[in-house]
Amino acid sequence: MWSSLQRWWGVILILVAVSATVWLGATQQLVLYIHPRYVVFTVVMAALALVMGVLSLAIRPANTEEAVAPRGWSRVVGGVALLLSGAVALSLVLVPPTTLSSATASQRDIVGSTVGSDSQNVDEVENADDELIASFTVVDWSSLLRQTSDPSFYSNKTADVVGFITASEDDPANIFYLSRFTVTCCAVDAQPTGLAVYAPDWANDFEVDAWVEITGSFEVNPSSRSDLPLVLVPETMTGVERPSEPYLY
Amino acid sequence: MTTTVPASVDDHHHQHDHRPRRSRNRWLWLAFGTIGVAAIFALRAYTGELESVGVPGLTADLLTLATSVIIESLPFVVLGILLSIVVQAWLPDDLLMRYLPQSPVLRRAAISLFGIALPVCECGNVPLARGLILKGFSVPESMTFLLAAPIINPITIVTTHQAFGFDDGILVGRILGGLAIANIVGWLFSLHPQPNAILTGRFAQQCAVGSHGPRQSRTEKSLDIFMRESSVLMPAVFIGSLIAGAIQVAVPRDVLVTLGSNPLWSILAMMALAFVISVCSSVDAFFILPFASTFMPGSIVTFLVFGPIIDIKMLAIMRTTFTAKVLLQLSLVVALMSAFIGLVINYVV
Repeated sequence: MWSSLQRWWGVILILVAVSATVWLGATQQLVLYIHPRYVVFTVVMAALALVMGVLSLAIRPANTEEAVAPRGWSRVVGGVALLLSGAVALSLVLVPPTTLSSATASQRDIVGSTVGSDSQNVDEVENADDELIASFTVVDWSSLLRQTSDPSFYSNKTADVVGFITASEDDPANIFYLSRFTVTCCAVDAQPTGLAVYAPDWANDFEVDAWVEITGSFEVNPSSRSDLPLVLVPETMTGVERPSEPYLY
Repeated sequence: MTTTVPASVDDHHHQHDHRPRRSRNRWLWLAFGTIGVAAIFALRAYTGELESVGVPGLTADLLTLATSVIIESLPFVVLGILLSIVVQAWLPDDLLMRYLPQSPVLRRAAISLFGIALPVCECGNVPLARGLILKGFSVPESMTFLLAAPIINPITIVTTHQAFGFDDGILVGRILGGLAIANIVGWLFSLHPQPNAILTGRFAQQCAVGSHGPRQSRTEKSLDIFMRESSVLMPAVFIGSLIAGAIQVAVPRDVLVTLGSNPLWSILAMMALAFVISVCSSVDAFFILPFASTFMPGSIVTFLVFGPIIDIKMLAIMRTTFTAKVLLQLSLVVALMSAFIGLVINYVV
Protein backbone atom coordinates (compact mmCIF):
# COMPACT_ATOMS: atom_id res chain seq x y z
CA MET A 1 0.00 0.00 0.00
CA TRP A 2 2.66 2.46 1.17
CA SER A 3 5.06 1.70 -1.66
CA SER A 4 2.43 1.89 -4.39
CA LEU A 5 1.13 5.16 -2.94
CA GLN A 6 4.68 6.49 -2.99
CA ARG A 7 5.11 5.29 -6.56
CA TRP A 8 1.91 6.96 -7.79
CA TRP A 9 1.95 10.03 -5.58
CA GLY A 10 4.13 12.07 -7.97
CA VAL A 11 1.86 11.31 -10.93
CA ILE A 12 -1.18 12.32 -8.86
CA LEU A 13 0.49 15.58 -7.78
CA ILE A 14 1.67 16.45 -11.27
CA LEU A 15 -1.78 15.70 -12.71
CA VAL A 16 -3.41 17.97 -10.12
CA ALA A 17 -0.87 20.75 -10.74
CA VAL A 18 -1.09 20.66 -14.53
CA SER A 19 -4.88 20.33 -14.52
CA ALA A 20 -5.06 23.43 -12.35
CA THR A 21 -2.62 25.18 -14.70
CA VAL A 22 -4.53 24.23 -17.84
CA TRP A 23 -7.80 25.34 -16.25
CA LEU A 24 -6.24 28.70 -15.31
CA GLY A 25 -4.98 29.00 -18.87
CA ALA A 26 -8.39 28.13 -20.35
CA THR A 27 -10.15 30.70 -18.16
CA GLN A 28 -7.40 33.28 -18.86
CA GLN A 29 -6.44 33.56 -15.21
CA LEU A 30 -2.81 32.46 -15.51
CA VAL A 31 -1.87 36.16 -15.46
CA LEU A 32 -2.83 36.17 -11.78
CA TYR A 33 0.35 34.18 -11.17
CA ILE A 34 2.83 34.73 -14.02
CA HIS A 35 3.77 37.39 -16.58
CA PRO A 36 1.79 37.03 -19.86
CA ARG A 37 4.98 36.25 -21.80
CA TYR A 38 5.23 32.82 -20.09
CA VAL A 39 1.61 31.80 -20.61
CA VAL A 40 2.00 29.87 -23.89
CA PHE A 41 5.11 27.98 -22.74
CA THR A 42 3.45 27.09 -19.43
CA VAL A 43 0.27 25.78 -21.06
CA VAL A 44 2.18 23.72 -23.66
CA MET A 45 4.38 22.04 -21.05
CA ALA A 46 1.36 21.44 -18.80
CA ALA A 47 -0.54 19.80 -21.66
CA LEU A 48 2.46 17.52 -22.37
CA ALA A 49 2.66 16.50 -18.72
CA LEU A 50 -1.10 15.88 -18.68
CA VAL A 51 -0.77 13.44 -21.59
CA MET A 52 2.27 11.71 -20.03
CA GLY A 53 0.49 11.41 -16.69
CA VAL A 54 -2.66 9.83 -18.10
CA LEU A 55 -0.58 7.52 -20.34
CA SER A 56 1.50 6.31 -17.40
CA LEU A 57 -1.74 5.51 -15.58
CA ALA A 58 -2.93 3.54 -18.61
CA ILE A 59 0.30 1.65 -19.34
CA ARG A 60 1.46 1.26 -15.73
CA PRO A 61 5.11 0.45 -16.50
CA ALA A 62 6.60 -2.38 -14.47
CA ASN A 63 8.40 -1.19 -11.36
CA THR A 64 12.18 -1.45 -11.77
CA GLU A 65 12.89 -0.31 -8.26
CA GLU A 66 12.85 -2.66 -5.31
CA ALA A 67 10.40 -1.47 -2.74
CA VAL A 68 11.93 -0.58 0.60
CA ALA A 69 9.52 -0.23 3.48
CA PRO A 70 10.55 2.93 5.36
CA ARG A 71 11.14 2.56 9.08
CA GLY A 72 11.24 4.84 12.10
CA TRP A 73 11.99 8.49 11.40
CA SER A 74 12.09 8.20 7.64
CA ARG A 75 8.53 6.91 7.82
CA VAL A 76 7.48 9.99 9.83
CA VAL A 77 9.27 12.36 7.46
CA GLY A 78 7.72 10.60 4.48
CA GLY A 79 4.28 10.86 6.07
CA VAL A 80 4.66 14.58 6.78
CA ALA A 81 5.88 15.21 3.22
CA LEU A 82 2.87 13.30 1.92
CA LEU A 83 0.44 15.32 4.04
CA LEU A 84 2.02 18.71 3.25
CA SER A 85 2.24 18.15 -0.49
CA GLY A 86 -1.29 16.75 -0.45
CA ALA A 87 -2.51 19.89 1.32
CA VAL A 88 -0.85 22.11 -1.29
CA ALA A 89 -2.41 19.99 -4.05
CA LEU A 90 -5.85 20.38 -2.46
CA SER A 91 -5.39 24.14 -2.22
CA LEU A 92 -4.52 24.22 -5.93
CA VAL A 93 -7.92 22.72 -6.70
CA LEU A 94 -10.11 24.14 -3.95
CA VAL A 95 -9.03 27.74 -3.32
CA PRO A 96 -10.49 30.19 -5.86
CA PRO A 97 -7.72 31.98 -7.79
CA THR A 98 -7.07 35.46 -6.53
CA THR A 99 -4.61 38.34 -6.62
CA LEU A 100 -2.26 39.33 -3.86
CA SER A 101 -4.06 41.48 -1.30
CA SER A 102 -3.36 44.73 0.51
CA ALA A 103 -1.81 42.69 3.34
CA THR A 104 1.17 41.99 1.08
CA ALA A 105 1.09 45.48 -0.43
CA SER A 106 1.60 47.18 2.93
CA GLN A 107 4.28 44.62 3.87
CA ARG A 108 6.26 45.46 0.73
CA ASP A 109 6.84 49.19 1.28
CA ILE A 110 4.15 50.81 -0.82
CA VAL A 111 5.37 54.39 -0.35
CA GLY A 112 9.10 53.95 -0.94
CA SER A 113 8.58 51.70 -3.94
CA THR A 114 10.66 52.73 -6.92
CA VAL A 115 8.90 50.52 -9.46
CA GLY A 116 8.60 52.09 -12.88
CA SER A 117 10.41 55.15 -11.59
CA ASP A 118 11.13 56.18 -15.17
CA SER A 119 7.79 55.19 -16.69
CA GLN A 120 6.91 58.87 -17.27
CA ASN A 121 9.13 61.91 -17.52
CA VAL A 122 8.07 65.30 -16.12
CA ASP A 123 9.41 67.29 -19.07
CA GLU A 124 7.58 65.18 -21.62
CA VAL A 125 4.31 65.16 -19.68
CA GLU A 126 4.37 68.96 -19.07
CA ASN A 127 2.30 69.73 -22.17
CA ALA A 128 0.80 66.33 -22.91
CA ASP A 129 -2.75 66.16 -24.29
CA ASP A 130 -5.72 64.98 -22.23
CA GLU A 131 -5.97 61.67 -24.03
CA LEU A 132 -2.46 60.64 -22.98
CA ILE A 133 -3.00 61.83 -19.43
CA ALA A 134 -6.25 59.88 -19.17
CA SER A 135 -4.31 56.71 -19.98
CA PHE A 136 -1.91 57.14 -17.06
CA THR A 137 -1.93 54.36 -14.48
CA VAL A 138 -1.16 54.41 -10.79
CA VAL A 139 2.46 53.64 -11.65
CA ASP A 140 2.74 56.55 -14.13
CA TRP A 141 1.35 59.05 -11.63
CA SER A 142 3.51 57.90 -8.76
CA SER A 143 6.58 58.11 -10.98
CA LEU A 144 5.65 61.74 -11.72
CA LEU A 145 4.98 62.44 -8.04
CA ARG A 146 8.46 61.21 -7.19
CA GLN A 147 9.95 63.63 -9.70
CA THR A 148 8.04 66.77 -8.76
CA SER A 149 5.65 67.81 -6.02
CA ASP A 150 5.02 71.25 -7.50
CA PRO A 151 1.20 71.74 -7.36
CA SER A 152 1.14 73.90 -10.49
CA PHE A 153 2.44 70.99 -12.57
CA TYR A 154 -0.70 69.00 -11.73
CA SER A 155 -3.18 71.90 -11.76
CA ASN A 156 -4.68 71.32 -15.21
CA LYS A 157 -4.40 67.52 -15.27
CA THR A 158 -7.21 65.15 -14.33
CA ALA A 159 -6.30 61.65 -13.27
CA ASP A 160 -8.52 58.66 -14.07
CA VAL A 161 -7.11 55.60 -12.31
CA VAL A 162 -8.15 52.13 -11.14
CA GLY A 163 -6.68 50.25 -8.18
CA PHE A 164 -7.43 48.53 -4.90
CA ILE A 165 -7.56 50.13 -1.47
CA THR A 166 -4.68 49.72 0.98
CA ALA A 167 -5.05 51.47 4.33
CA SER A 168 -2.65 54.25 5.27
CA GLU A 169 -0.88 54.08 8.61
CA ASP A 170 -0.47 57.83 9.17
CA ASP A 171 -4.06 58.98 8.76
CA PRO A 172 -6.24 55.91 8.31
CA ALA A 173 -9.54 57.82 8.64
CA ASN A 174 -8.95 60.25 5.76
CA ILE A 175 -6.26 58.78 3.52
CA PHE A 176 -5.86 55.45 1.75
CA TYR A 177 -3.54 54.22 -0.98
CA LEU A 178 -4.99 53.41 -4.36
CA SER A 179 -2.60 50.61 -5.22
CA ARG A 180 -1.53 48.27 -7.98
CA PHE A 181 1.07 45.52 -8.12
CA THR A 182 3.69 45.54 -10.87
CA VAL A 183 4.90 42.13 -12.01
CA THR A 184 8.12 41.51 -13.95
CA CYS A 185 8.20 37.69 -13.77
CA CYS A 186 5.50 36.26 -11.54
CA ALA A 187 3.37 37.12 -8.53
CA VAL A 188 6.38 36.30 -6.35
CA ASP A 189 8.11 39.54 -7.35
CA ALA A 190 4.98 41.73 -7.33
CA GLN A 191 5.95 45.24 -6.29
CA PRO A 192 3.19 47.48 -4.93
CA THR A 193 2.81 51.11 -5.94
CA GLY A 194 0.24 53.41 -4.40
CA LEU A 195 -1.25 56.89 -4.83
CA ALA A 196 -2.32 58.60 -1.61
CA VAL A 197 -6.03 59.48 -1.90
CA TYR A 198 -7.63 62.02 0.42
CA ALA A 199 -11.23 60.93 1.02
CA PRO A 200 -12.53 61.62 4.56
CA ASP A 201 -14.48 58.68 6.01
CA TRP A 202 -13.81 56.52 2.97
CA ALA A 203 -14.27 53.45 5.15
CA ASN A 204 -18.04 54.13 5.31
CA ASP A 205 -18.40 53.37 1.62
CA PHE A 206 -15.53 51.04 0.75
CA GLU A 207 -13.60 48.21 2.30
CA VAL A 208 -9.87 47.57 2.26
CA ASP A 209 -8.96 45.49 -0.84
CA ALA A 210 -12.00 46.78 -2.77
CA TRP A 211 -11.30 47.83 -6.38
CA VAL A 212 -12.29 51.42 -7.18
CA GLU A 213 -12.03 53.85 -10.09
CA ILE A 214 -11.20 57.42 -9.17
CA THR A 215 -11.22 60.60 -11.22
CA GLY A 216 -9.77 63.64 -9.57
CA SER A 217 -6.80 65.96 -9.34
CA PHE A 218 -3.69 66.25 -7.22
CA GLU A 219 -3.78 68.91 -4.54
CA VAL A 220 -1.79 69.98 -1.52
CA ASN A 221 -2.34 67.48 1.28
CA PRO A 222 -4.98 68.85 3.70
CA SER A 223 -4.28 66.19 6.30
CA SER A 224 -2.21 67.33 9.27
CA ARG A 225 -1.27 63.82 10.30
CA SER A 226 0.38 62.74 7.06
CA ASP A 227 3.53 64.38 5.69
CA LEU A 228 2.97 63.60 2.00
CA PRO A 229 3.09 66.87 0.00
CA LEU A 230 0.38 66.03 -2.58
CA VAL A 231 -2.65 63.77 -2.51
CA LEU A 232 -5.26 62.74 -5.06
CA VAL A 233 -8.60 64.38 -4.22
CA PRO A 234 -11.42 62.44 -5.91
CA GLU A 235 -14.28 64.07 -7.80
CA THR A 236 -15.88 60.70 -8.43
CA MET A 237 -15.11 57.41 -6.76
CA THR A 238 -16.93 54.25 -7.85
CA GLY A 239 -16.52 50.59 -6.98
CA VAL A 240 -15.50 48.43 -9.95
CA GLU A 241 -14.91 44.76 -10.70
CA ARG A 242 -11.34 43.48 -10.42
CA PRO A 243 -9.75 44.03 -13.88
CA SER A 244 -9.05 40.86 -15.86
CA GLU A 245 -5.36 41.79 -15.78
CA PRO A 246 -5.01 43.01 -12.20
CA TYR A 247 -1.23 43.42 -12.35
CA LEU A 248 0.67 46.02 -14.37
CA TYR A 249 3.74 45.01 -16.39
CA MET B 1 20.99 -18.19 -7.65
CA THR B 2 18.72 -21.22 -7.50
CA THR B 3 15.90 -19.18 -6.10
CA THR B 4 16.16 -16.25 -8.49
CA VAL B 5 16.26 -18.13 -11.78
CA PRO B 6 12.91 -19.91 -11.46
CA ALA B 7 11.37 -16.69 -10.22
CA SER B 8 12.42 -14.78 -13.32
CA VAL B 9 11.29 -17.58 -15.61
CA ASP B 10 7.97 -17.58 -13.84
CA ASP B 11 7.78 -13.85 -14.28
CA HIS B 12 8.39 -14.27 -17.98
CA HIS B 13 5.53 -16.74 -18.34
CA HIS B 14 3.33 -14.57 -16.26
CA GLN B 15 3.80 -11.66 -18.67
CA HIS B 16 3.14 -13.77 -21.75
CA ASP B 17 0.07 -15.51 -20.45
CA HIS B 18 -1.79 -12.38 -19.59
CA ARG B 19 -0.97 -10.20 -22.58
CA PRO B 20 -4.57 -9.87 -23.81
CA ARG B 21 -5.89 -9.16 -20.36
CA ARG B 22 -3.14 -6.64 -19.78
CA SER B 23 -4.02 -4.70 -22.89
CA ARG B 24 -7.70 -4.76 -21.93
CA ASN B 25 -6.65 -3.41 -18.55
CA ARG B 26 -4.83 -0.63 -20.28
CA TRP B 27 -8.04 0.68 -21.83
CA LEU B 28 -9.71 0.38 -18.46
CA TRP B 29 -6.95 2.37 -16.74
CA LEU B 30 -6.88 4.92 -19.56
CA ALA B 31 -10.58 5.45 -18.92
CA PHE B 32 -9.96 5.74 -15.17
CA GLY B 33 -7.20 8.27 -15.75
CA THR B 34 -9.28 10.37 -18.11
CA ILE B 35 -12.25 10.32 -15.76
CA GLY B 36 -9.97 11.26 -12.86
CA VAL B 37 -8.55 14.25 -14.74
CA ALA B 38 -12.04 15.27 -15.85
CA ALA B 39 -13.14 15.12 -12.22
CA ILE B 40 -10.27 17.42 -11.18
CA PHE B 41 -11.29 19.86 -13.92
CA ALA B 42 -14.95 19.76 -12.87
CA LEU B 43 -14.10 20.33 -9.21
CA ARG B 44 -11.75 23.16 -10.14
CA ALA B 45 -14.35 24.79 -12.40
CA TYR B 46 -16.86 24.60 -9.54
CA THR B 47 -14.58 25.95 -6.78
CA GLY B 48 -13.12 28.57 -9.13
CA GLU B 49 -16.51 30.28 -9.31
CA LEU B 50 -16.84 30.60 -5.53
CA GLU B 51 -16.39 34.08 -4.13
CA SER B 52 -13.98 32.97 -1.42
CA VAL B 53 -13.59 30.03 0.89
CA GLY B 54 -13.00 32.17 3.95
CA VAL B 55 -9.21 32.22 3.86
CA PRO B 56 -7.92 35.39 5.62
CA GLY B 57 -5.69 37.93 3.82
CA LEU B 58 -2.18 36.81 4.69
CA THR B 59 -2.94 33.09 4.37
CA ALA B 60 -4.58 33.74 1.02
CA ASP B 61 -1.45 35.64 -0.06
CA LEU B 62 0.74 32.79 1.18
CA LEU B 63 -1.22 30.38 -1.03
CA THR B 64 -1.12 32.81 -3.97
CA LEU B 65 2.66 33.10 -3.63
CA ALA B 66 3.15 29.34 -3.27
CA THR B 67 0.90 28.73 -6.30
CA SER B 68 2.87 31.32 -8.23
CA VAL B 69 6.17 29.54 -7.49
CA ILE B 70 4.63 26.19 -8.50
CA ILE B 71 3.12 27.48 -11.75
CA GLU B 72 6.29 29.36 -12.64
CA SER B 73 8.59 26.36 -12.07
CA LEU B 74 6.28 23.57 -13.28
CA PRO B 75 6.93 23.96 -17.04
CA PHE B 76 10.68 23.86 -16.39
CA VAL B 77 10.33 20.77 -14.19
CA VAL B 78 8.34 19.05 -16.95
CA LEU B 79 10.91 20.08 -19.57
CA GLY B 80 13.68 18.73 -17.34
CA ILE B 81 11.91 15.38 -16.92
CA LEU B 82 11.34 15.14 -20.68
CA LEU B 83 15.02 15.85 -21.44
CA SER B 84 16.02 13.34 -18.78
CA ILE B 85 13.81 10.76 -20.51
CA VAL B 86 15.48 11.54 -23.85
CA VAL B 87 18.96 11.14 -22.33
CA GLN B 88 18.13 7.92 -20.46
CA ALA B 89 15.80 6.09 -22.82
CA TRP B 90 16.38 7.38 -26.35
CA LEU B 91 20.04 8.41 -26.72
CA PRO B 92 22.70 5.71 -27.28
CA ASP B 93 24.48 4.93 -24.01
CA ASP B 94 27.89 6.23 -24.97
CA LEU B 95 26.93 9.23 -27.11
CA LEU B 96 27.78 11.82 -24.45
CA MET B 97 30.82 9.95 -23.17
CA ARG B 98 32.48 9.30 -26.52
CA TYR B 99 33.70 12.81 -27.23
CA LEU B 100 34.66 13.94 -23.73
CA PRO B 101 38.34 14.59 -22.92
CA GLN B 102 40.14 12.06 -20.70
CA SER B 103 41.63 14.40 -18.11
CA PRO B 104 39.16 14.94 -15.24
CA VAL B 105 39.64 18.72 -15.14
CA LEU B 106 39.05 19.14 -18.89
CA ARG B 107 36.14 16.69 -18.71
CA ARG B 108 34.42 18.78 -16.06
CA ALA B 109 35.17 21.97 -17.99
CA ALA B 110 33.51 20.45 -21.08
CA ILE B 111 30.57 19.21 -19.01
CA SER B 112 30.06 22.64 -17.47
CA LEU B 113 29.44 23.93 -21.01
CA PHE B 114 26.76 21.31 -21.78
CA GLY B 115 24.12 23.69 -20.52
CA ILE B 116 24.46 25.90 -23.60
CA ALA B 117 22.48 23.33 -25.55
CA LEU B 118 19.91 22.68 -22.82
CA PRO B 119 17.23 25.25 -22.06
CA VAL B 120 16.50 24.00 -18.53
CA CYS B 121 16.59 26.00 -15.34
CA GLU B 122 17.71 24.61 -12.02
CA CYS B 123 14.56 22.71 -11.10
CA GLY B 124 14.56 20.86 -14.42
CA ASN B 125 18.26 20.25 -14.05
CA VAL B 126 18.02 17.89 -11.12
CA PRO B 127 16.18 15.14 -13.05
CA LEU B 128 18.64 15.63 -15.90
CA ALA B 129 21.66 15.38 -13.60
CA ARG B 130 20.17 12.25 -12.03
CA GLY B 131 19.77 10.84 -15.52
CA LEU B 132 23.42 11.60 -16.27
CA ILE B 133 24.60 9.76 -13.13
CA LEU B 134 22.53 6.75 -14.20
CA LYS B 135 24.17 7.02 -17.62
CA GLY B 136 27.61 6.66 -16.07
CA PHE B 137 28.75 10.17 -15.23
CA SER B 138 30.71 10.35 -11.98
CA VAL B 139 28.99 12.18 -9.14
CA PRO B 140 31.34 15.23 -9.17
CA GLU B 141 30.91 15.50 -12.96
CA SER B 142 27.14 15.58 -12.75
CA MET B 143 27.41 18.08 -9.91
CA THR B 144 29.45 20.36 -12.16
CA PHE B 145 26.69 20.04 -14.74
CA LEU B 146 23.99 20.66 -12.12
CA LEU B 147 25.64 23.89 -10.97
CA ALA B 148 26.68 25.32 -14.33
CA ALA B 149 23.75 24.47 -16.59
CA PRO B 150 21.07 26.74 -15.03
CA ILE B 151 23.35 29.78 -15.47
CA ILE B 152 24.83 28.93 -18.85
CA ASN B 153 21.52 27.87 -20.43
CA PRO B 154 20.39 29.88 -23.48
CA ILE B 155 17.12 31.14 -21.96
CA THR B 156 18.92 32.45 -18.89
CA ILE B 157 21.53 34.24 -20.99
CA VAL B 158 18.88 35.82 -23.22
CA THR B 159 16.68 36.98 -20.31
CA THR B 160 19.68 38.34 -18.39
CA HIS B 161 20.76 40.21 -21.50
CA GLN B 162 17.22 41.56 -22.03
CA ALA B 163 17.14 42.77 -18.44
CA PHE B 164 20.62 44.23 -18.05
CA GLY B 165 22.31 44.36 -21.46
CA PHE B 166 26.06 44.48 -20.96
CA ASP B 167 25.81 47.11 -18.20
CA ASP B 168 28.18 46.95 -15.24
CA GLY B 169 29.54 43.52 -16.16
CA ILE B 170 26.43 41.83 -14.74
CA LEU B 171 25.92 39.37 -17.61
CA VAL B 172 29.62 38.55 -18.00
CA GLY B 173 30.05 38.28 -14.22
CA ARG B 174 27.13 35.90 -14.03
CA ILE B 175 28.35 33.55 -16.77
CA LEU B 176 32.01 33.47 -15.72
CA GLY B 177 31.13 33.30 -12.02
CA GLY B 178 28.75 30.41 -12.57
CA LEU B 179 31.30 28.45 -14.63
CA ALA B 180 34.04 29.06 -12.06
CA ILE B 181 31.88 27.93 -9.13
CA ALA B 182 30.69 24.80 -10.99
CA ASN B 183 34.21 23.71 -11.90
CA ILE B 184 35.70 24.43 -8.49
CA VAL B 185 32.88 22.66 -6.64
CA GLY B 186 33.18 19.69 -9.02
CA TRP B 187 36.92 19.55 -8.29
CA LEU B 188 36.34 19.77 -4.52
CA PHE B 189 33.89 16.88 -4.54
CA SER B 190 36.16 14.84 -6.81
CA LEU B 191 38.62 14.84 -3.88
CA HIS B 192 36.04 12.88 -1.88
CA PRO B 193 37.37 9.32 -1.38
CA GLN B 194 33.99 7.70 -2.15
CA PRO B 195 31.92 9.98 -4.38
CA ASN B 196 28.91 7.64 -4.28
CA ALA B 197 28.67 8.16 -0.51
CA ILE B 198 27.36 11.68 -1.11
CA LEU B 199 24.21 10.30 -2.73
CA THR B 200 21.09 9.49 -0.73
CA GLY B 201 20.49 5.80 -0.02
CA ARG B 202 17.45 5.55 -2.26
CA PHE B 203 19.13 7.09 -5.28
CA ALA B 204 22.43 5.20 -4.80
CA GLN B 205 20.41 1.99 -4.76
CA GLN B 206 18.68 3.02 -7.98
CA CYS B 207 22.11 3.62 -9.58
CA ALA B 208 23.33 0.21 -8.42
CA VAL B 209 20.28 -1.54 -9.85
CA GLY B 210 20.81 0.33 -13.12
CA SER B 211 19.44 -1.43 -16.15
CA HIS B 212 19.25 -4.88 -14.59
CA GLY B 213 15.54 -4.56 -13.89
CA PRO B 214 12.83 -6.25 -15.95
CA ARG B 215 12.91 -5.63 -19.70
CA GLN B 216 10.84 -2.70 -20.78
CA SER B 217 9.91 -1.24 -24.13
CA ARG B 218 11.14 2.30 -24.71
CA THR B 219 7.67 3.72 -24.14
CA GLU B 220 7.36 1.82 -20.88
CA LYS B 221 10.82 2.92 -19.82
CA SER B 222 10.02 6.56 -20.66
CA LEU B 223 6.82 6.45 -18.61
CA ASP B 224 8.63 4.66 -15.80
CA ILE B 225 11.16 7.51 -15.68
CA PHE B 226 8.33 10.04 -15.81
CA MET B 227 6.65 8.39 -12.82
CA ARG B 228 9.83 8.03 -10.83
CA GLU B 229 11.07 11.56 -11.41
CA SER B 230 7.70 13.13 -10.69
CA SER B 231 7.25 11.12 -7.50
CA VAL B 232 10.63 12.36 -6.32
CA LEU B 233 10.40 15.97 -7.53
CA MET B 234 6.76 17.02 -7.19
CA PRO B 235 6.51 16.72 -3.37
CA ALA B 236 9.77 18.70 -3.15
CA VAL B 237 8.45 21.43 -5.48
CA PHE B 238 5.16 21.65 -3.55
CA ILE B 239 6.73 21.77 -0.10
CA GLY B 240 9.54 24.10 -1.21
CA SER B 241 7.02 26.59 -2.65
CA LEU B 242 4.91 26.43 0.49
CA ILE B 243 7.92 27.29 2.67
CA ALA B 244 9.10 30.00 0.25
CA GLY B 245 5.60 31.56 0.30
CA ALA B 246 5.41 31.41 4.10
CA ILE B 247 8.76 33.11 4.57
CA GLN B 248 7.91 35.85 2.09
CA VAL B 249 4.73 36.63 4.01
CA ALA B 250 6.60 36.60 7.32
CA VAL B 251 9.70 38.66 6.46
CA PRO B 252 8.98 42.29 5.43
CA ARG B 253 10.59 43.03 2.07
CA ASP B 254 11.89 46.47 3.15
CA VAL B 255 14.10 44.86 5.80
CA LEU B 256 16.17 43.41 2.96
CA VAL B 257 15.98 46.50 0.76
CA THR B 258 17.22 48.91 3.45
CA LEU B 259 20.45 46.91 3.58
CA GLY B 260 20.95 47.46 -0.15
CA SER B 261 23.40 50.35 -0.36
CA ASN B 262 26.28 48.94 1.71
CA PRO B 263 28.80 46.92 -0.39
CA LEU B 264 29.00 44.05 2.11
CA TRP B 265 25.50 44.07 3.61
CA SER B 266 23.86 44.37 0.21
CA ILE B 267 25.59 41.15 -0.84
CA LEU B 268 24.34 39.30 2.22
CA ALA B 269 20.86 40.77 1.73
CA MET B 270 20.85 39.62 -1.90
CA MET B 271 21.84 36.09 -0.95
CA ALA B 272 19.08 36.04 1.66
CA LEU B 273 16.61 37.31 -0.95
CA ALA B 274 17.72 34.74 -3.53
CA PHE B 275 17.46 31.99 -0.93
CA VAL B 276 13.92 32.95 0.08
CA ILE B 277 12.46 33.82 -3.32
CA SER B 278 13.26 30.52 -5.09
CA VAL B 279 12.43 31.64 -8.65
CA CYS B 280 13.96 29.78 -11.61
CA SER B 281 17.20 31.01 -13.16
CA SER B 282 15.54 31.55 -16.54
CA VAL B 283 13.36 34.32 -15.14
CA ASP B 284 15.24 35.65 -12.13
CA ALA B 285 16.88 38.49 -14.08
CA PHE B 286 13.45 40.08 -14.56
CA PHE B 287 12.74 39.47 -10.91
CA ILE B 288 15.78 41.41 -9.74
CA LEU B 289 15.49 44.21 -12.32
CA PRO B 290 13.25 46.46 -10.14
CA PHE B 291 15.90 46.25 -7.41
CA ALA B 292 18.75 47.23 -9.74
CA SER B 293 18.61 50.88 -8.73
CA THR B 294 18.69 50.02 -5.02
CA PHE B 295 21.47 47.46 -5.02
CA MET B 296 25.07 47.60 -6.23
CA PRO B 297 25.94 45.67 -9.44
CA GLY B 298 28.17 43.15 -7.64
CA SER B 299 25.30 42.31 -5.31
CA ILE B 300 23.02 41.72 -8.31
CA VAL B 301 25.63 39.32 -9.72
CA THR B 302 25.73 37.53 -6.35
CA PHE B 303 21.95 37.15 -6.52
CA LEU B 304 22.13 35.84 -10.10
CA VAL B 305 24.92 33.36 -9.32
CA PHE B 306 23.82 32.16 -5.88
CA GLY B 307 20.06 31.96 -6.55
CA PRO B 308 20.15 29.35 -9.34
CA ILE B 309 22.25 26.99 -7.23
CA ILE B 310 21.01 27.42 -3.66
CA ASP B 311 17.52 28.34 -2.53
CA ILE B 312 14.76 26.82 -0.43
CA LYS B 313 13.03 25.03 -3.29
CA MET B 314 16.34 23.83 -4.75
CA LEU B 315 17.53 22.40 -1.43
CA ALA B 316 14.26 20.48 -1.13
CA ILE B 317 14.70 19.14 -4.67
CA MET B 318 18.42 18.34 -4.33
CA ARG B 319 17.79 16.53 -1.05
CA THR B 320 16.18 13.82 -3.21
CA THR B 321 19.64 13.04 -4.59
CA PHE B 322 22.36 14.22 -2.18
CA THR B 323 22.77 13.77 1.57
CA ALA B 324 22.05 16.64 3.97
CA LYS B 325 25.73 16.97 4.90
CA VAL B 326 26.73 17.44 1.27
CA LEU B 327 24.05 20.09 0.76
CA LEU B 328 25.34 21.97 3.80
CA GLN B 329 28.92 21.90 2.46
CA LEU B 330 27.68 22.85 -1.01
CA SER B 331 25.64 25.81 0.32
CA LEU B 332 28.60 27.07 2.32
CA VAL B 333 31.11 26.82 -0.54
CA VAL B 334 28.75 28.38 -3.09
CA ALA B 335 27.75 31.17 -0.68
CA LEU B 336 31.39 32.08 0.01
CA MET B 337 32.35 32.00 -3.66
CA SER B 338 29.40 34.01 -4.93
CA ALA B 339 29.88 36.57 -2.14
CA PHE B 340 33.53 36.82 -3.19
CA ILE B 341 32.59 37.38 -6.86
CA GLY B 342 30.08 40.04 -5.82
CA LEU B 343 32.58 41.83 -3.60
CA VAL B 344 35.19 41.92 -6.36
CA ILE B 345 32.67 43.48 -8.76
CA ASN B 346 31.38 45.93 -6.12
CA TYR B 347 34.85 47.25 -5.39
CA VAL B 348 36.40 47.04 -8.85
CA VAL B 349 33.66 48.15 -11.27
